[in-house]
Amino acid sequence: MTAMEQFVANLRAAPSRIVETAFRSGKPETDRTRSTFVFGNVFLHLHSVRTHRWSLRWTTTMGLGIASLAAFLITLVTGVLLMFYYKPFTEVAYDSIKDIHFVVPTGRFIRNIHRWAANVMVVCVILHMARAFYTGAYRKPREFNWLIGMGLLVVTLGLSFTGYLLPWDQLAYWAITIGANIAQSPREVTDALNITEYFDPGGFQRLLLLGSDMVGPEALIRFYLLHVMILPLVLGGLMAVHFWRIRKDGGLVKPADADQRAGTTEETVYPVFTDAPNRTYHLAAIVKGRTSQVGRGPENTVPSMPHLFYAELGVLMLTTLVCVLLGLISDAPLKELANPAVPENPAKAPWYFLGLQELVAFSAFMGGIGIPSIVLIGLGLIPYLDREKAGTGEWFGGPGGWSLVKQAMIVGFLSSLAIEAFVIHYGWLREWFPNIPQLFITALNPGTMITAVYGAYSVWLVRKYASARAGAMGLFTCFLCGFLVLTVIGTYFRGPNWVFYWSPSEWPKH
Amino acid sequence: MRKNKLLLLISSAGVLVLLLAAAVEENFRRDWRRIQSAGRSEEGPIAVQLRQVVNPSLRVQDRCVSCHVAMGPGEQGVTGGKTLVPHKAVVHDPAEYGCTICHGGQGLATEKDDAHGDVHFWPSPMIPSDSSYAGCGSCHAALGVPNAALYRQQSAAFERLDCLACHRVDKRGGTVRPGGGGMEGPDLSRAGMTGYDKDWHAKHVRKKEESTSGPWTTAFAEVGEADRKLLDGFLATRVAASPLMEAKAAFHSSGCLGCHKVSGTGGEEGPDLTRGGEKDPGQLNFGAVQDKHTFANWVAEHFRSPSAVVAESKMPPVAVDEKEIEKLTLYVLSLRRRDVPGSYLPKDRVKATRFGEREFAADGETIFTAFCSGCHGRDGKGRRAPGMAAFPAVANADFLNHVSDEFLRTTIKQGRPGRRMPAWDSPTGLRPAEIDAVIGYLRAVSATQSKADDKPRFVSANAESGKRLFESSCSGCHGAKGEGGEGPALRNPVLLKSATDAYLIETIANGRRGTPMPGFTASSTVHRTYAPAEIESIVAFLRTWEGKK
Repeated sequence: MTAMEQFVANLRAAPSRIVETAFRSGKPETDRTRSTFVFGNVFLHLHSVRTHRWSLRWTTTMGLGIASLAAFLITLVTGVLLMFYYKPFTEVAYDSIKDIHFVVPTGRFIRNIHRWAANVMVVCVILHMARAFYTGAYRKPREFNWLIGMGLLVVTLGLSFTGYLLPWDQLAYWAITIGANIAQSPREVTDALNITEYFDPGGFQRLLLLGSDMVGPEALIRFYLLHVMILPLVLGGLMAVHFWRIRKDGGLVKPADADQRAGTTEETVYPVFTDAPNRTYHLAAIVKGRTSQVGRGPENTVPSMPHLFYAELGVLMLTTLVCVLLGLISDAPLKELANPAVPENPAKAPWYFLGLQELVAFSAFMGGIGIPSIVLIGLGLIPYLDREKAGTGEWFGGPGGWSLVKQAMIVGFLSSLAIEAFVIHYGWLREWFPNIPQLFITALNPGTMITAVYGAYSVWLVRKYASARAGAMGLFTCFLCGFLVLTVIGTYFRGPNWVFYWSPSEWPKH
Repeated sequence: MRKNKLLLLISSAGVLVLLLAAAVEENFRRDWRRIQSAGRSEEGPIAVQLRQVVNPSLRVQDRCVSCHVAMGPGEQGVTGGKTLVPHKAVVHDPAEYGCTICHGGQGLATEKDDAHGDVHFWPSPMIPSDSSYAGCGSCHAALGVPNAALYRQQSAAFERLDCLACHRVDKRGGTVRPGGGGMEGPDLSRAGMTGYDKDWHAKHVRKKEESTSGPWTTAFAEVGEADRKLLDGFLATRVAASPLMEAKAAFHSSGCLGCHKVSGTGGEEGPDLTRGGEKDPGQLNFGAVQDKHTFANWVAEHFRSPSAVVAESKMPPVAVDEKEIEKLTLYVLSLRRRDVPGSYLPKDRVKATRFGEREFAADGETIFTAFCSGCHGRDGKGRRAPGMAAFPAVANADFLNHVSDEFLRTTIKQGRPGRRMPAWDSPTGLRPAEIDAVIGYLRAVSATQSKADDKPRFVSANAESGKRLFESSCSGCHGAKGEGGEGPALRNPVLLKSATDAYLIETIANGRRGTPMPGFTASSTVHRTYAPAEIESIVAFLRTWEGKK
């Protein structure tokens, strides 16, 4: 063969060789080649090569984690598209959103999807956290991943909140003003102690957030940068760690008897270790657990490709379907141009902060800093206080179980509703004793009352069941109920000056 | 796995269907596509495509012609449906100037509601079609517009002198020469813009003398000086926008400039109206507006009852009929500005901004009604508005009879510090000649003469007894400390400085007919009759306020 013939032959073979080299071990057509494909692919190897069949049951996770990721990916794609037209300067920001809405081809559609995906993401992240909690997925060895997940929750809220300002309309402007005032809430205490002049963490937080005394161009560029760069990068980093740790912590949480309950493997599934046991396991020394036993594979697993991927893609497309559908039938809001001289009344924060705003209305410090800190610290401590084993991987597993959760829901709803109803009907200390010191109200207000009731109830549960898990389940359930009650009241039943109204039609006219 | 596969299949198919639906919506169900597909030109159906007028130097990019195809460049022949009609003949060719430059709205939008601005919270909607002439204000500044009364006189003169026999104005009049040869006289509809021969009358006369037959011998008769002046005024406002000129004339009859600035001239008390027609309807309070919530209705309601529409407005109601409110509303809508490059800047705007030409006519009556009548009344007889101090009757003959022109000049120039009367001697106020014109007008309507006084101060009576008399008879209206109330404030430095003793004595002694101020030397059942010495003591008491606050 001459050099020329060789050259021609190579040239003709090039297409098939490109495919070959791309897949390394040939096309992923058999379970074995698929497994090596997943193993060797930089993106796919975040999955383990094989997935336990318990993890694929719909009731195990409800797909909420993947749905959160899917919503994030949708916001990422639509967000980048929006960035082509959005201009983060106060003079033109509103006009550029108008352009996106009215002029840019598909601009309105893309913006609607972006907005809905952001809301879907917040909801999914909260539900995902509830799923992880109720199945005991935070327990050893997944404690730290629970903390990462909390970080993801905070960053998700941050992303949503920073995006809220960008349209620069009245809704955005005053929602961010309220949000910034929540950040300033430590002032309530420093003011009461008369030390704001010397020590003003609240003012500093607000200044750090807005870059100025009021919401203006500095705040806009800050929020823009946080929204399109810093927070997505942080979120991406945390997500990578979150997913990686799922693998390293042994996949999704499973009950101890998952193998038996999952039933036997289908005949068609290819067993993994019996085919070519001609390998040594170089890193076996650092692998935890008992998985690398020669001669016996983890037979209740199936290859991730395609079994897990179908599930993941299915959830991805379902999330996309929901976001696209919502985007098609409901427009993202856009009010008139932001006007610092005309405050919205009521000015409301984004919906997921309305529970906080409701608390802030009682006491700025407790609503803005105190109770959120208690909640975050409490959530973070759960994996380290609950060191039990019973019920791991089971929905509502642990002492008390579903009946405890039902009882906690009743307690959670009734106590928050009762306290709210009392306050709405009779007022609170300030109405009764106008000259009462502010610190007294900071310590004793409806928000802290609800928190105290929830705390006392969970302590009672810990004692009754002699189990930290029981207390945690009660507290977490109560927290979700309280969040729901406060958010609904803040969203639908608060009118001008944060007065209670059964419906907006009762709001006073000008 | 089956379940997951099914989920993937169904949700993917669902997304596909939705995206297809969105694509169909975006690409096939757009109104402009439907409209264009009905369009026919001489060559047959027109191409269905996005059309636009682009003029970078005007910063215009108008896609309005995507629906209004026949208004686009070179597409006048397109027909098919009520949207596909050509623009009526105008000086500014829409193919060059675009649409939004005159009509407002959102040129980039391609949907009717969005483009016309009929959407919630839209900051700058299209100018309503019945107020189209308001768009002229974006670039043009019509100059020398008189008040409504004078405007009517001028139009009437043009009709009366039968200029329309030969000349055409605003689509009326003009005779076409039999057997071809066009119009007898030139079309004067735009004479105010293009200019005309100032020597026209002499030339007309000469032409008449030279002619032996034809229309010149019969159609023209010499025009007197006064009528010529009226005709010149009429021609100055011929800019092919007579509805706007009428609106502006109404504005110049309502005294708004006394408190509001337009293009840098006017009072300080109210908001600057230079861009008053560009208010964002989304930022307005429509609580008091019963009609449809449009900016035009807001403005109209605001004229009817200012303080009901704008909280704490100190503007007295504009006491005019609905027709005039319509005109004023049109004028307010025309208060807009568009930055256009020098080559597009119209002559009238250049004259106004660079050469200081006025938008109002130079006669005293127009200046008085444009600047003073809002408070002092169109006839100068004063005004009352709920919740406001009475505005003095400045054209009152009893007042003008006792004051010199110098007194009036000082009053207009320096105003009444602390009161609503501003000082007009400022760069944004009136020029000396204009102030003199106002004084001349006041003298003319009151048939009075300036009364010079060579001995302004002669009273040397006892101020103490004057104080008692003031408290018993004057303080009821003028305030216990002279701060004003029903009557004007007397404790005012400019008033006390410029008022002569004779003037004060005359006013107290004889009062001012047509106002609540009685004459105190006449016998009356409601007040004491004062002797001349007592009146002098009151004047002496008033003088004690001079130099003190």
